[in-house]
Amino acid sequence: MSEKKKLMSMSDAIEQHVSNGDVLFLGGFVQQEPFAAAHEIIRQGKRDLTLSKCAGMNLVDQMIGAGVIKHLITSFTWNPLPTTAHCFVRALTQEIPHKVEVEEYSLLGLNLAYFAGSLDLPYVATKTMLGSGFDWEQNDTGAKNRLRFEKSPFTGERICLVPPIKHDVGIIQVQRSDPHGNAQAWGMLGESRYGLQSCQKIIICAEEIVDTDTVMRDPNRTLVPAFRVHAVVDEPWGSHPHPMAGYYDMDWLYFAYYERETHTEELFQGFLKKWVYGVRDRKEYLSVLGAKRLESLRPETFTSEPVSYGKHTRHFEV
Amino acid sequence: MNERAESATAVEQMIVSAARLIKNGSVLMVGTQWPVIASLLAKSLHAPDIAICFEGGAVLGKIPDRIPFFTGDPVVNANCVLLGNSLDTLGMVLHGGKADMGLLSAASVDRYGNINTTCIGDYASPKMRLAGSGGACDFGSLASRTIIIVEHDKRRFPEKVDFITTPGYLSGKDSRTMAGLKSETGPYAVVTTLGMFHFDEVGEMILTAYHPSASVREVKENVQWDLKVDSNVKPLMPPSEKELEILRYQIDPEGMYLRNARLLRGRQISI
Repeated sequence: MSEKKKLMSMSDAIEQHVSNGDVLFLGGFVQQEPFAAAHEIIRQGKRDLTLSKCAGMNLVDQMIGAGVIKHLITSFTWNPLPTTAHCFVRALTQEIPHKVEVEEYSLLGLNLAYFAGSLDLPYVATKTMLGSGFDWEQNDTGAKNRLRFEKSPFTGERICLVPPIKHDVGIIQVQRSDPHGNAQAWGMLGESRYGLQSCQKIIICAEEIVDTDTVMRDPNRTLVPAFRVHAVVDEPWGSHPHPMAGYYDMDWLYFAYYERETHTEELFQGFLKKWVYGVRDRKEYLSVLGAKRLESLRPETFTSEPVSYGKHTRHFEV
Repeated sequence: MNERAESATAVEQMIVSAARLIKNGSVLMVGTQWPVIASLLAKSLHAPDIAICFEGGAVLGKIPDRIPFFTGDPVVNANCVLLGNSLDTLGMVLHGGKADMGLLSAASVDRYGNINTTCIGDYASPKMRLAGSGGACDFGSLASRTIIIVEHDKRRFPEKVDFITTPGYLSGKDSRTMAGLKSETGPYAVVTTLGMFHFDEVGEMILTAYHPSASVREVKENVQWDLKVDSNVKPLMPPSEKELEILRYQIDPEGMYLRNARLLRGRQISI
């Protein structure tokens, strides 16, 4: 793949790299949520996706409501006020807009599944989830998942085996990336590191595009190296209404607004029309939000002292 | 009842009672909602040296500049001594056996301390669907002591939950260890707006203290089974002036937990 062609528009990135029926990982744990990408997936009318996301919030709710998700792998889904995620509830209780199969794990369980996926481990053995509703051997709840329960070959105790979960495509919104996809993120990273590494293809959406030298001066902050990345999108404010460390706060009142604007199916369609179908791209979305609202979300600057990694140019005299 | 008790709301009593259970020097896994405010109150009072860990990969270094509205609040970023991956906290702290205590909120809690935050009714075709586990199942599976903080409502206290999102003592006796969960883990206390409960030798919830303005009878009437009552049951000590002052004016001066969260719900907001 030509390096030059990685930097592209959101619509091109989604069109070229997300196909109907894909198993899709969306990164971000409250922070770094790829909202701009999710809206483009909805606009392009993708279908039958399996969505895998630890922290299911408004983003998962909207994708379910818009009908693009067939199968959901998650550890929770809510509107973080905290209150109900209405589309998620409508899908599970009334099959509106259609039936969604749910595959649930605890948050640690799902993190371990991504970890196993990223290292291509056959499984990970754990002591969490035993005896819970996820433990189908103990509780006949009808919960569907891929866990297995065995005796440890070492100690004989009962253990839970977590399968590797792998994905066709992974998308995340990060603070910065170079044009090749060396992507850097900071803040609360949740499952993003292992989730992304368990994907065949990766799309990086970044608040800023920087040169490679900037990345190389602080490589500890790199989440994914370029050789794993297929597309890079320059997309400021791509995580709104969720936050981005150092760039913008959570848009708290937007969640209250979302709760009201989605509590019936009819209202939700109006919401989609205004914020997703009614805008061509993220730029238009931001103009609907207005510069004043965006400005109000900017935090005070709080920078770290620069660190030196040390530059070495010679070995030793013999 | 003295004057101080009258001035504290039931929610404030609940938060203060939960905070008092936290020992200085302990390592805590803290869940969203009431655990956040209870652990920060403890850190400001008698337990300055606790480590507050969140499931997203954060270890707090101080009382944050504003109270986190939930554990993923971006205010956490600039108030941490460690900020990384979920596997750092849920994995190496909690699964690694380093968490002395896990603090959780709940939608409902049953006789054996099992928590449900998944669904009301049948899992496959639920009457009502709730958020799901997040890290809650992991806290309840792995922490040495789990404290559950929940606003009391009879509907929240069924004899048996519809879905065990977070394992307590399952069906009592040795069922928890038989399922494979580590011994020396499990629920330690449930703190509500009506009282405080511990667990007896068979893993059943037992009332050990009640809110100063409530009674044993009122608590018994507000759970859906025949509740055991400890022979030494007594009223909870009301919040001191200092506890209330710090809670109201230092920990939550904007009233995010004590007032606003409730006001926001259901309110029409235009954008």
